Parts: sequence; C-alpha cells; structure tokens
Amino acid sequence: MVDVLRTLHDDADLRFEVLADLAGVDTGDSMQVVYHLWSETTTDWLRVIVADLSRDDPRVPSATFLWKGAEWMEREAYDMFGIVFEGNRDLRRIYMPPDYTSFPLRKDFYIADDSSRSPGLGVRHMEQVHAPVESAAPIRRSRAR
Amino acid sequence: MATRIPSLDDPRVLVSTPATIYDAIPPYAPRTEREAEFYGLRDGEMLVNMGPQHPSTHGVLRLVVKIDGERVVDLDPVLGYLHRGIEKLSENADYHHAICYTDPLEYVSSLFNELAPVMAFEQLLDLRVPRRAEYIRVLSCELNRIASHALFIGWMALDLGGITPILYSFIERDEIVEMLAALTGQRMLFNYMRIGGVNGDLNHEFLSRLGDWMGHALAQVEADTALLNQNEIFVRRTRGLGRMDRQTAIGFGMSGPNIRACGVPYDVRRAHPYSVYPELEFEIPTREEGDSYARYLLRIDEIKQSIHIIDQVLHRMPDGPVMAQLPRRITPRPGRAWAAVESPRGQYGCFAISDGTDQPYRFRIHDPSFVNLQAVVPLMPGNLLADTMAVMASLDPVMGGIDK
Repeated sequence: MVDVLRTLHDDADLRFEVLADLAGVDTGDSMQVVYHLWSETTTDWLRVIVADLSRDDPRVPSATFLWKGAEWMEREAYDMFGIVFEGNRDLRRIYMPPDYTSFPLRKDFYIADDSSRSPGLGVRHMEQVHAPVESAAPIRRSRAR
Repeated sequence: MATRIPSLDDPRVLVSTPATIYDAIPPYAPRTEREAEFYGLRDGEMLVNMGPQHPSTHGVLRLVVKIDGERVVDLDPVLGYLHRGIEKLSENADYHHAICYTDPLEYVSSLFNELAPVMAFEQLLDLRVPRRAEYIRVLSCELNRIASHALFIGWMALDLGGITPILYSFIERDEIVEMLAALTGQRMLFNYMRIGGVNGDLNHEFLSRLGDWMGHALAQVEADTALLNQNEIFVRRTRGLGRMDRQTAIGFGMSGPNIRACGVPYDVRRAHPYSVYPELEFEIPTREEGDSYARYLLRIDEIKQSIHIIDQVLHRMPDGPVMAQLPRRITPRPGRAWAAVESPRGQYGCFAISDGTDQPYRFRIHDPSFVNLQAVVPLMPGNLLADTMAVMASLDPVMGGIDK
C-alpha cells in the first residue's frame, strides 16, 4: 500500500499531489481506509481503498511521509474507528477526551436513543438490507423515587 | 501560634489541586512522540493555555502555546470541544434528514455544507438535477460565499484589535442574510438544498432585495476594505506574517483562499468542475506572497469574482422546475460516492456509502478548516504570542466544521 501511494504521488505521469480525503470505514466484519486523491493531470478524483483490515487490530502504514496533512485525518480515523496508523508520530485522540475508551463510528457503537437498532441486533453488515425488528422487547424503565 | 490559612500562593495547595483537562500540562505520561516532544520543556520555556473560550478563537478551540519570552516556540491545538457526532447522527438518519444535520457544521457557509452531501447522494442515485435548480444553487452559494468572506474581513480586523470593520462587514452580511432568509426561510441554517434540486423557487422578495444589493455591492466592498487595505497598523501586523510556501501548503492538503494565496491555483470549481460552473466565466485569483495580508487581499478578489458570477447567473437563469421527480423514501443502490465543492474555506467534501437502505451506511464530511488549521503548527514558531491570533484569523477556521 505504501508503494502504491508513493508511485501515485511521485510518478511523473501521475503526480497525485493533493490528498483530498482520508476516511475510515467499518464494513461490519472488516475495516477499510479510503483515500481520495487529486492530480493536475486529470480532473477526476482517484479513490484508493485499503480493505480487509481486521476489526480487532486494524493496522495501516501512515501516509504522513507523503502528505503531512494526513496526520490529523489519521488521528480522526484512529479516534473514531480505532485504526492504528503505524508511523504517525502523533496518534492521539482528536475529538474525544483522552481517557475515552470506545470508538464511536464503529457499527457496534449504538447511540443511546436509537431504538430501531438496539445492541441485540448486532453489527449491521454492509450491503445487506437492514430491517428493524418488529416486536422489540419493551424498554423497562426504573420507577422514579 | 497563628494557623496558616491555605492560599493559592502555598505550593502545597497547588500540588493537591486535582488536575483537570484544562491544565496546560496533561496529568498523564506522554503517549506519542510528538506529545513527548511538545510537553518536555527546555530551560526558559513555558506553556500558556489559550482557550477553549478565548474571545478570538472563532468558536471553542484550545491552543497550548509553548513560549520562550514573548516568542512562540511550538503549538498544540486541542480540538473536540464542539464535537457533536454529526457523522454518527447522519448514519442513523435517512438521506433527507442527513442534510439538515450538516447545516451547523460550518455555520458561516451552511449552503455549501448541504450542497456537498446532496451532490454525493445524487451520484448514488444517478440523478440529474433540473438546470434551473443548478443555477439557483450556484446563485445562493455565491451569495453565501460573499457573506462569509465579508464576515472574515471583519473578524480578522477584530482579532487584531480593530472593532470598526466588523460593524461594516455585518451591514453587508446582513443584507445577504436577509436575502437568503427571503429565499430559504432561515437566516443561518438554511436547509435549502434538496436531493434532486432546491426547496423553493426564487421569489419576489428575494429578487427585489438582490436587485437593490447588486446596485451597490461592489462599491460597498470597496468601502469596507478601504478601512483596512492601507491601514498602517493592519498592514504591519499582517504583511510578512504567517508565510506559507507552496510545497508545504500542498503537502498539508490546504485548499481554498489559503492555498491560492501561496500561488497554487487549486479551486474545485476548476479542478473538478461541478454544477454549472463550466458554463460560467470567472477567474481564480492567486497571489504569490503566502502571508496573512495576501490571504486577506485574496478574499476581497474572490468577493468581486462572486459578484461577477451572480451577474452572469441572473442573466442566464433558465425556466423550468426546481426539483427532480423523486419518491419520498429514497433507497439508492449499494455504492460509494465522493463529491466536493469549493466552499469559502476550501474543498468541502462528502463521502457517502450506500448499502441499499434508506440510511447512509457511511457518511463522512471532509472539512477544509480542519486541514487548514493543521498548518497553524508550522506557521507559528518565531512569531510573537500576540500574533498567534492574527495568523489564525487569516486562515479563517470555523470550529463548527473542524469539530463536526
């Protein structure tokens, strides 16, 4: 992956000098990192996908040696998905507090009032039609004292 | 024997005070190479905490500044005080709802926030937008760009200590905001773009306000900026400060006026033309100096170009519908889409993944201020502490977008 990015960046015919975006993706059973690049040789964007990273320990080489600006975007992907970018010299959480332990944009992270997708449903897999459970168990509320 | 009253001068009191997240030095061991480098102090250096509620940080940004005397040695921006989890919220909302979540991201230029996701969703749906809707989009976006740049001029002067220019720029901004309020029904968070078009057609009030404004728009820009362009204090505090060179700017992925002030003519409207921009005639102003003053002048040039674009759009506005035929509940086929627009701060992108349901599977916003703010770290060293805000202001970051 490092060689691919380096060739895209340095090759005289390609010269993808602008890193337009770096995004983490959780597909439900693996992690991905998606790069969008732009070059003055073409008007179109180029999408590079690093796929099939393990969900338990996703590791990717950092792109900061080519694009210094990738540093914060990698920090964001680390903060939101737990993807570790090896070689990034400042891989801290960027939005969440430093003592936070989970990764909010992962698909098994549920927001509190999301009734249609309770934790019991498990991970919502990509490219699989999701139907909310019709007869969800009623939410038990503790009686106010 | 007199009992000692604990006071803040007593070192023991300071030691026993529990550490908070606002302490300049974090209460834990450094976790990364950079953190160890930053928080290790050499002789004569000290850390100063600015923010998160510093009056001139454009929102809630916290800067930990390492200084030696009056000079800045290094800088560590701490983000996240305005993080609302908009990406997560949008992934749990349907496509129409996701658009209204994006409004408060960059609250100074909300129309661009809506345009990028709308364009990405249209790509997913393979949808063609009526030409009149495209023209209205360009018209309203360019108006929003002028309002944003006008506010920038006032903000920048305010951060340098001049209070008058912001009053003038608010006059200009208010006229445009009233105009957009007549068009969209809202003053700030417009929620005007729709998948397949725009919410409503041009109305009489909007057009009459626009006509009034067009008559004196250029003169007003000249009047606003005459206060600053030749102002000796302003020029001294901006010219030559925060100088960025071409290669660093490209490496940092900067975009918008900040990179064009370094001489790189990168503008998404030309780099990857969208909407009806290929049919319109406009220039991409660039400057070579790359300092704060160049970034300021460049935005004035952009206001003039935007007025020129609006003029053309009004002359070419076609007739027809403003919305494509679309069902209420939309379910795009599985796929990925990336769309970027040129917002007043740079390349504003949206990456959306559909899994075939009525909710985006992944919704990612790429915000230009987020990337531009990174460049503050190499720009600052060597400057006076008081100029930190002057350089920051010239990059025009908006924390709503940076923190998502």
